[in-house]
Amino acid sequence: MSFSCRRLGLFLLFSGSLPALAQTPAAVSIPTTTSAINSATPMSQRVVHYEIDAKYNAKNHTVDADETLTYHNLTGQPLDTFPFHLYLNAFQPTSTWLREGKREGTRNQDFEKWDPKSYGASEIKSFEVVGQGDLTSQVQFIHPDDDNKDDRTVVQVHLPKPIPVDGYVQFKIKFRDQFPKTLERTGWDRDSIVGGQWFPKVGLWIHGAWNCHQFHAYTEFFADFGVYDVKLTVPQNEVVGASGIQVSDVSNSDGTRTVAYHGDDIHDFAWTASPHYKIVDDTFNGSMGPVKIRVLLHPGHMFLAERHTRIVHQTMDHFDRWYGPYPYKTLTVVDTEPGSQAFGMEYPTFITGGASWFDPEGSLSEPEGVVEHEFGHQYWYGMVATNEFEDAWMDEGINQYTEAKIMDSIFGKSTSIFNNLWGMSVGEDDGDRLFMLPVADLDPMTRKGWKFADSDSYGGITYGKTAVVLLTLESIIGEDTMRQAMHTYFMRYRFTHPVPEDFLKTIEEVSGKDLRWYFSQAVYGAQVLDFRVLKVSNVPVDWYKEDLKEKKGETEYISNAWIHRKGDFVIPVDLEIKFDNGESLREHWDGQDRWVRYQYQKKAKIESVEIDPDHKIQFDRNNFDNSYVVKANPAPASKIVHYWEFISQFLAQVATWWLV
Amino acid sequence: MNDNKSLFSAGASVARGNLRYIVWFYLLNLLLGWLGASGLGTHAHSIMDHSLYSDKLLHGFNPAVLIELLNRPEFGPMKSSTMPSLFFGILFLLSSLTFMPGVLLGYSSDHRISRDEFFRACGRNLWRFVRLFVMAAIVVGITLGLLSAAFEFLAKAADNTNYERLPFFTHLAGWTIMLLALTKIRLWFDLAQTDVVLSDQNAVRKSLGFGFRAMRKNRVRLLGTYVLIALVGLVVLVGGIVLWNMIVPSSSVFGAFLVSQFMLLLLLAIRFWQRAAAVALYVKEMAEPVVEVAPVVAAIVVAQ
Repeated sequence: MSFSCRRLGLFLLFSGSLPALAQTPAAVSIPTTTSAINSATPMSQRVVHYEIDAKYNAKNHTVDADETLTYHNLTGQPLDTFPFHLYLNAFQPTSTWLREGKREGTRNQDFEKWDPKSYGASEIKSFEVVGQGDLTSQVQFIHPDDDNKDDRTVVQVHLPKPIPVDGYVQFKIKFRDQFPKTLERTGWDRDSIVGGQWFPKVGLWIHGAWNCHQFHAYTEFFADFGVYDVKLTVPQNEVVGASGIQVSDVSNSDGTRTVAYHGDDIHDFAWTASPHYKIVDDTFNGSMGPVKIRVLLHPGHMFLAERHTRIVHQTMDHFDRWYGPYPYKTLTVVDTEPGSQAFGMEYPTFITGGASWFDPEGSLSEPEGVVEHEFGHQYWYGMVATNEFEDAWMDEGINQYTEAKIMDSIFGKSTSIFNNLWGMSVGEDDGDRLFMLPVADLDPMTRKGWKFADSDSYGGITYGKTAVVLLTLESIIGEDTMRQAMHTYFMRYRFTHPVPEDFLKTIEEVSGKDLRWYFSQAVYGAQVLDFRVLKVSNVPVDWYKEDLKEKKGETEYISNAWIHRKGDFVIPVDLEIKFDNGESLREHWDGQDRWVRYQYQKKAKIESVEIDPDHKIQFDRNNFDNSYVVKANPAPASKIVHYWEFISQFLAQVATWWLV
Repeated sequence: MNDNKSLFSAGASVARGNLRYIVWFYLLNLLLGWLGASGLGTHAHSIMDHSLYSDKLLHGFNPAVLIELLNRPEFGPMKSSTMPSLFFGILFLLSSLTFMPGVLLGYSSDHRISRDEFFRACGRNLWRFVRLFVMAAIVVGITLGLLSAAFEFLAKAADNTNYERLPFFTHLAGWTIMLLALTKIRLWFDLAQTDVVLSDQNAVRKSLGFGFRAMRKNRVRLLGTYVLIALVGLVVLVGGIVLWNMIVPSSSVFGAFLVSQFMLLLLLAIRFWQRAAAVALYVKEMAEPVVEVAPVVAAIVVAQ
């Protein structure tokens, strides 16, 4: 739910009491620097410039900071109200984030009991608008999405003088952060910290209104592009990494050091510090220029350095060739504190992953999977900056799709999660489909992030369903066309804030196909796709003859195969019918009716029927009934039963061993 | 070390001389395992036998497909598939409880005992064994509870350090110590069970007392023997799984069945080996006091 100050502006205009417009402070503008990107000119429409001077207290996990935010009013109308996110206030017992989390679950935290270490806060100490005075007392907490008066994740300030169209305003904010023991990928663990969503951040004006949602249990973020200049003062022994490029590193006399960073055309800034990080530097030569890669690894994970740099290279190479160039000069990859909830998270030019001292080569979910995924967000979130609150599928889901494509390309289609790990193999598409299955009919992909039935539905639909919907779409329009469409979408909408229709229309445009029938069901709907082979019959033509002796190759049969569309999702589908004389037939069914029957008269019996033999459709709810083999093959089930029998016999022996 | 070796080989010799018990218990384990899995088999065959998709579980092993299978509504709730195995597992435990006295009698005898003797021993000692079982469960429960709590505390403390492997090694050390403690408890109760059967002891607390004393007296030798035999079991388990993974093609259902069942047979044999070692010690223990007591009795006679 967005809220608007437009009505207020109109009211003031017509009531004849419009206050005088604020004058832009002298020499205020948004920098046009390009030192952090491989481009001679800015790549985004820069709306904000954040200058933050932050001092980190590693003992108390606090930050005291001065923030200067310069905002360029490009909304096309005067603005007198500004909302700000204070995300860290979500980590309080009465917040909306926690209330929703108690109801529906959060990421890896059940909050059975409140742990004081989970407390987090962002407190505004003073709030000044340059030229308009100290407005600290005007800052009010608001709750645009619900009626939770105790939620303190969004504040709003009303300016005495509106900011004119194309004018600038400068906010000077002093704030103090208390980081929680890591929650939602931000906070401290042991003596490390990942600082994400840690500073007062202005909302985003879009489609004629402010978009500044409260922090919900499983929503993410949305912000304007701009320039960041951040100074971090940390204890001398800390190794620091952050968004953007490092511009200075100065030792202070009080045992601290100040590291300064600069970021161009980014919409967030995150940092990390730990006394233990080991630095691994590398370079990727992208099509827009070299990218300096810095991997911050835990000492016990140095043996994974090569796996980290290799997957970063492979991923960047695929993105560069398939979707478009990575324009930034740096990428920082953080191996977060082992066992921490910091794990995988994306911030502009800065991603966190996760690894363990026990990461066998055959298990590709970490570090490879998580690093690939978070890097993908540099495109689907970082540059194509969609609204993560409202259209989570456009960042997480599209990214999950490209993850499947790239991981499959690197590691093989059926082996991109487990590559023969102790005899087990799983591909990305298997994982995505499995993610979706339990919640397939609960919510459409386009549901706003905080309005999903529960966290399982949010995850299963946003990540899993989107990926399989796009994989299926790819089989409809062709892999090359889909890649071209993704490339066009990226190049057209990078450094902007596209909405779902921008993406869908791009695919229709590039493919030259009307795909509304598909999008209305798969993207906007919650219809379930479920085909099955209803039954198969083989009846001898001369069945009535008493002396009939069936003989292979000589007896003529009337064979029938019934296909049933159990689900409401309508999609054309191919079928393959195999006969016992080796003959194979392909049929195409438009899937419009509820069922269809195919009849054949041959000197052969139907041996098997398979729906979607090329496995183009990735989100059928039950793949087991998509085929029917007339002659039963008990081997697969017997294998499962034997495994289970072994386990149960073994456990019975173990119990008997210790108790009898 | 020599004592350990003798008990180790004495146990092996006793178990080898009575292989039929191992075979019978294995067949019972197999039968009950099969009965327990039959519910799951019915569900699995009905969904998989006519489906080409099942092949993903035959040629190779795709856990995602297995999870999908287990979540199919027509597969029924997992409980309906797993509960029979639990019940038949408990039945195996109770059967072992019932027939173990006969086995212990057979192990202590220098001749092949008759079927009558076997079952008479089982019947006579059933209630005593039930009592010992309950006591063992209580002792094991309390010990495990205390040790788990202690190691959980240590593991949490280890988790706060920067040494990532410390929690793992803490857990590993905890499990090792717990296994050693359980082995000691098992040893104690194995000796008590042996005493109950061989001395026809109705008061199981006296057998427990005997078992405890005998265990303390021979703690190194006996614990060493038990641990050594258990290590052989660990080698069998790990080696069996590695072999299974390496030499059995994933599509060979029968091959997997043979390797897995051979592994189970050997594991059962390992446990019977421990039992046989305890019986061998008991027999030796009971023989020793006779030598010491005889002169005392003679002295009394002289005094009279």
